[in-house]
Amino acid sequence: MKKIIFMLVYRDLKIYSRSLSDFMNTIAFMITIVALFPLAIGPSQEKLNFLANAVLWIALIISVIPTLDKIYANDFKNGWLEQLNYSPVLLEIILLIKCLTFWFSLMFPILVVLPILSLFLGINLDLILWNLLIILIGSLGICLIGSICSSLTLGAKTGNVISPLLILPLTIPVLIFGISSCEALKANMDPYPNLYLLVSFCLILIILSPILSAISVRIALEK
Amino acid sequence: MINYLANPKRFLKFSKVIQPLLGYSSLILITIGLYFSLLDSPVDYQQGHTVRIMYVHVPSAWLASILYFAMAGCATVFLIWKHPLADVSARCIAPVGLIFSLLTLITGSLWGKPMWGTWWVWDARLTSMLILTIFYISYIGLSNAFENETDGSKPASVLSILGAINLPIIKFSVDWWNTLHQPSSILRMDGPSISNEMLLPLLLMLIGFFCLATYIIIINIKIKLMIKKYKKEMIRIS
Repeated sequence: MKKIIFMLVYRDLKIYSRSLSDFMNTIAFMITIVALFPLAIGPSQEKLNFLANAVLWIALIISVIPTLDKIYANDFKNGWLEQLNYSPVLLEIILLIKCLTFWFSLMFPILVVLPILSLFLGINLDLILWNLLIILIGSLGICLIGSICSSLTLGAKTGNVISPLLILPLTIPVLIFGISSCEALKANMDPYPNLYLLVSFCLILIILSPILSAISVRIALEK
Repeated sequence: MINYLANPKRFLKFSKVIQPLLGYSSLILITIGLYFSLLDSPVDYQQGHTVRIMYVHVPSAWLASILYFAMAGCATVFLIWKHPLADVSARCIAPVGLIFSLLTLITGSLWGKPMWGTWWVWDARLTSMLILTIFYISYIGLSNAFENETDGSKPASVLSILGAINLPIIKFSVDWWNTLHQPSSILRMDGPSISNEMLLPLLLMLIGFFCLATYIIIINIKIKLMIKKYKKEMIRIS
C-alpha cells in the first residue's frame, strides 16, 4: 500500500514537472487578471487596497479552474484511471492522493505569484506568510471541489464549458471564509474564527470529495 | 403509489386521468387566487398595493425550492435503483424549477425597487436563491453535455444531490443572517403571522402554482417518453 501510494505521487509529480509551461501559463494568467483591475478601476491606491484581497482570491480561483481538468482528464483518456480502478487500493484513496498531489504541485505557482501580486495590490508584506497559509488552505478546498466537478464532466463533449459553471458556485464558502480571514488580518483583527471555518470546510471536503469523485469516475468508466 | 407509477405504461395511463384534473384545477385556483390577491385582499399598512406582488413571489419561491427537492429526490432514486423514469422526471422537473426560480428573482426585484429602493441587494436570501438558479442551469447543462443523452444522467444526478445543500441555506438564511429580506411569516413555530385575508389567496395561489407545475411536468415527461419510444421504434425498424 505504501509503495503504491509512493509510486502514484511520484508518477503524478513527474508528469506535472514535465508540463512546466502549463504552470507558467497559470502564473501569467493570474498576473494578467490582477493587472486588469487597476486598469479597470483606475490607479488610485486607496480603491485598490480596498479591493486587494477580493481581487487576489478571484484571480486565484479563475486561474486555477482551467488547470483542474488535468487532475483526471488526461488519465481518463489514456486509460490510466481504468487501470487504477482494478488496483487493490480503494479508488477513493487513489483519487484523494491524486488530488493532494495536484494541490502540492499548485503550491509552486502560488508561491511564485503571491509576493508579486501582494506588491501589485499593495497588500502589507508583513502579512505575507499568513496570507500564504490562508490561500494554500483555500486552494486545497478549491482542488477538492474541482476534483468532484472535473470527474463529473469526464467524457462530456462540452466539458470545458460546463465545468467552470459547476465549480464556481461550490467555491463560494471557500471564497467567503478565506477572504474574511484575510480581511481580518488586514484590519489587525483575529483571523482565527474564519480560518477555523475554512479549515473545517476543507476537512469535510477531504472526506466527501474522494467519495463523490470515485462515484462519478466509476460512472464515467462504465460507459 | 410510487411503485405503482414506476412503470412508464401505468404512468401514462395514470397521467391521462390526473392531467386534465391538474390542468383545470390550476386554472380555477389561479383565477380565484388572482381575483382575491389583486382585487379583494387588504392593502398592507406599510407597503400599500405593492404587497400584491407577494402572491406571485412567495408561491414561486416555494415551488422553486420544492421542485429542487423533488429533482434531487428523483436523482437519488435514479442513482440507487437506476430506474429510468426517475431520471426522465428529474430532467423534466429542472426547466420548470428554473422558470419558477427566475420568476422569484424577477418578481422579488420588482418588489425590491419600491420597498428597499434597489433592484438587487447581496442579501443572504437573494444570493442563495441566485445560486439555486445557477444550480438548475448547471444541472440542465451537465445532463445535456454528453453525446449520448443518457450518459449525462448519472453525473447530473450527483450534481443535483450536491446542490441540495443549498436548500436548508435558503430556508434558514433569513434567520441566520439578519438582512433586508424579511423573515418567514407562514411556516413558523407559533403559527402564521399574517392575517387570514392575506393567507387565503396566498394558499390558493400556492396550490394553484403547484398544480400548474405538476401539469407541465407531466406533459414534459410524456413528451420525453414518447421521444424515447420513437427512438426505440426507429432502431427496431432499421
